[in-house]
Amino acid sequence: MAETEMEYRVELFNRLAQTCFNKCVDKRYKESELNMGENSCIDRCVSKYWQVNSMIGQMLSAGGRPPM
Amino acid sequence: MDKNMLAALEGLPEEDKARMSAMIDHLQLRDSLRMYNSLVERCFTDCIDNFTRKTLQKQEETCVTRCAEKFLKHSMRVGMRFAELNSQAATQD
Repeated sequence: MAETEMEYRVELFNRLAQTCFNKCVDKRYKESELNMGENSCIDRCVSKYWQVNSMIGQMLSAGGRPPM
Repeated sequence: MDKNMLAALEGLPEEDKARMSAMIDHLQLRDSLRMYNSLVERCFTDCIDNFTRKTLQKQEETCVTRCAEKFLKHSMRVGMRFAELNSQAATQD
Protein backbone atom coordinates (compact mmCIF):
# COMPACT_ATOMS: atom_id res chain seq x y z
CA MET A 1 0.00 0.00 0.00
CA ALA A 2 1.09 3.55 -0.71
CA GLU A 3 0.72 4.43 2.98
CA THR A 4 3.22 1.79 4.04
CA GLU A 5 5.49 2.92 1.21
CA MET A 6 5.32 6.48 2.51
CA GLU A 7 6.12 5.44 6.07
CA TYR A 8 9.03 3.43 4.72
CA ARG A 9 10.34 6.50 2.86
CA VAL A 10 10.13 8.68 5.94
CA GLU A 11 11.94 6.04 7.98
CA LEU A 12 14.59 5.67 5.27
CA PHE A 13 15.17 9.40 5.18
CA ASN A 14 15.50 9.64 8.96
CA ARG A 15 17.93 6.75 9.24
CA LEU A 16 19.94 8.09 6.31
CA ALA A 17 20.17 11.56 7.84
CA GLN A 18 21.20 10.22 11.26
CA THR A 19 23.77 7.82 9.84
CA CYS A 20 25.45 10.32 7.53
CA PHE A 21 25.53 12.98 10.23
CA ASN A 22 27.30 10.52 12.53
CA LYS A 23 29.74 9.53 9.82
CA CYS A 24 30.52 12.96 8.41
CA VAL A 25 30.15 15.74 10.95
CA ASP A 26 32.74 16.66 13.54
CA LYS A 27 31.07 16.52 16.92
CA ARG A 28 33.14 19.33 18.37
CA TYR A 29 30.78 21.83 16.63
CA LYS A 30 33.41 24.49 16.09
CA GLU A 31 30.95 26.38 13.89
CA SER A 32 27.32 26.20 12.81
CA GLU A 33 28.05 25.97 9.07
CA LEU A 34 28.89 22.76 7.25
CA ASN A 35 32.38 22.99 5.79
CA MET A 36 33.35 21.82 2.30
CA GLY A 37 34.69 18.50 3.50
CA GLU A 38 31.51 17.77 5.40
CA ASN A 39 29.38 18.74 2.39
CA SER A 40 31.25 16.36 0.10
CA CYS A 41 31.13 13.62 2.68
CA ILE A 42 27.38 14.06 3.07
CA ASP A 43 26.77 13.89 -0.69
CA ARG A 44 28.85 10.74 -1.03
CA CYS A 45 27.38 9.18 2.07
CA VAL A 46 23.83 9.70 0.80
CA SER A 47 24.80 8.25 -2.56
CA LYS A 48 26.39 5.13 -1.04
CA TYR A 49 23.61 4.63 1.46
CA TRP A 50 21.18 4.76 -1.42
CA GLN A 51 23.17 2.13 -3.33
CA VAL A 52 23.30 -0.16 -0.31
CA ASN A 53 19.57 0.33 0.10
CA SER A 54 18.97 -0.74 -3.53
CA MET A 55 21.29 -3.73 -3.22
CA ILE A 56 19.57 -5.05 -0.18
CA GLY A 57 16.16 -4.37 -1.67
CA GLN A 58 17.11 -6.46 -4.69
CA MET A 59 18.59 -9.24 -2.59
CA LEU A 60 15.47 -9.48 -0.48
CA SER A 61 13.06 -9.50 -3.40
CA ALA A 62 15.14 -11.96 -5.46
CA GLY A 63 15.92 -14.45 -2.69
CA GLY A 64 12.56 -14.18 -0.96
CA ARG A 65 12.92 -14.50 2.78
CA PRO A 66 16.48 -14.28 4.11
CA PRO A 67 17.82 -17.70 5.20
CA MET A 68 17.27 -18.30 8.95
CA MET B 1 10.04 16.07 0.46
CA ASP B 2 6.44 17.34 0.53
CA LYS B 3 6.38 18.74 -3.03
CA ASN B 4 7.41 15.40 -4.49
CA MET B 5 4.79 13.60 -2.45
CA LEU B 6 2.04 16.00 -3.49
CA ALA B 7 3.00 15.66 -7.16
CA ALA B 8 2.70 11.89 -6.85
CA LEU B 9 -0.94 12.26 -5.79
CA GLU B 10 -1.94 13.90 -9.07
CA GLY B 11 -3.49 10.90 -10.81
CA LEU B 12 -5.56 9.62 -7.88
CA PRO B 13 -9.34 9.84 -7.35
CA GLU B 14 -10.49 12.66 -5.02
CA GLU B 15 -11.17 10.63 -1.88
CA ASP B 16 -7.82 8.84 -2.10
CA LYS B 17 -6.13 12.17 -2.62
CA ALA B 18 -7.78 13.57 0.52
CA ARG B 19 -6.88 10.48 2.54
CA MET B 20 -3.27 10.51 1.38
CA SER B 21 -2.99 14.24 1.97
CA ALA B 22 -4.23 13.80 5.54
CA MET B 23 -1.77 10.99 5.98
CA ILE B 24 1.09 13.15 4.74
CA ASP B 25 0.14 15.85 7.25
CA HIS B 26 0.02 13.27 10.02
CA LEU B 27 3.39 11.79 9.03
CA GLN B 28 4.96 15.23 8.83
CA LEU B 29 3.71 16.17 12.28
CA ARG B 30 4.91 12.90 13.76
CA ASP B 31 8.22 13.27 11.98
CA SER B 32 8.72 16.85 13.20
CA LEU B 33 8.15 15.76 16.78
CA ARG B 34 10.52 12.85 16.37
CA MET B 35 13.15 15.16 14.85
CA TYR B 36 12.72 17.58 17.75
CA ASN B 37 13.29 14.84 20.31
CA SER B 38 16.25 13.27 18.59
CA LEU B 39 17.87 16.66 18.00
CA VAL B 40 17.60 17.51 21.68
CA GLU B 41 19.06 14.16 22.67
CA ARG B 42 21.87 14.41 20.15
CA CYS B 43 22.93 17.95 21.06
CA PHE B 44 22.63 17.30 24.76
CA THR B 45 24.76 14.17 24.47
CA ASP B 46 27.39 15.86 22.32
CA CYS B 47 27.59 19.15 24.20
CA ILE B 48 26.85 18.64 27.87
CA ASP B 49 29.28 16.69 30.04
CA ASN B 50 29.64 18.70 33.18
CA PHE B 51 27.12 18.53 35.99
CA THR B 52 28.74 20.65 38.69
CA ARG B 53 26.31 23.46 37.85
CA LYS B 54 22.60 23.23 37.22
CA THR B 55 22.40 26.07 34.67
CA LEU B 56 23.91 25.94 31.18
CA GLN B 57 27.28 27.64 30.74
CA LYS B 58 27.87 30.01 27.84
CA GLN B 59 30.02 27.51 25.96
CA GLU B 60 27.40 24.82 26.39
CA GLU B 61 24.75 27.15 24.97
CA THR B 62 26.99 27.97 22.02
CA CYS B 63 27.68 24.30 21.38
CA VAL B 64 23.98 23.41 21.45
CA THR B 65 23.12 26.27 19.08
CA ARG B 66 25.79 25.21 16.60
CA CYS B 67 24.84 21.55 16.91
CA ALA B 68 21.17 22.22 16.16
CA GLU B 69 21.86 24.63 13.30
CA LYS B 70 24.36 22.24 11.79
CA PHE B 71 22.05 19.27 11.97
CA LEU B 72 19.19 21.22 10.40
CA LYS B 73 21.42 22.36 7.53
CA HIS B 74 22.66 18.82 7.13
CA SER B 75 19.10 17.53 7.10
CA MET B 76 18.17 20.01 4.34
CA ARG B 77 21.12 18.95 2.25
CA VAL B 78 20.30 15.28 2.69
CA GLY B 79 16.72 16.10 1.71
CA MET B 80 17.94 17.68 -1.54
CA ARG B 81 20.08 14.68 -2.46
CA PHE B 82 17.35 12.28 -1.41
CA ALA B 83 14.88 14.02 -3.73
CA GLU B 84 17.39 13.92 -6.60
CA LEU B 85 18.00 10.20 -6.16
CA ASN B 86 14.28 9.58 -5.79
CA SER B 87 13.48 11.27 -9.09
CA GLN B 88 16.37 9.47 -10.83
CA ALA B 89 15.06 6.15 -9.57
CA ALA B 90 11.54 7.03 -10.71
CA THR B 91 12.64 7.80 -14.27
CA GLN B 92 14.66 4.59 -14.45
CA ASP B 93 11.70 2.29 -13.68
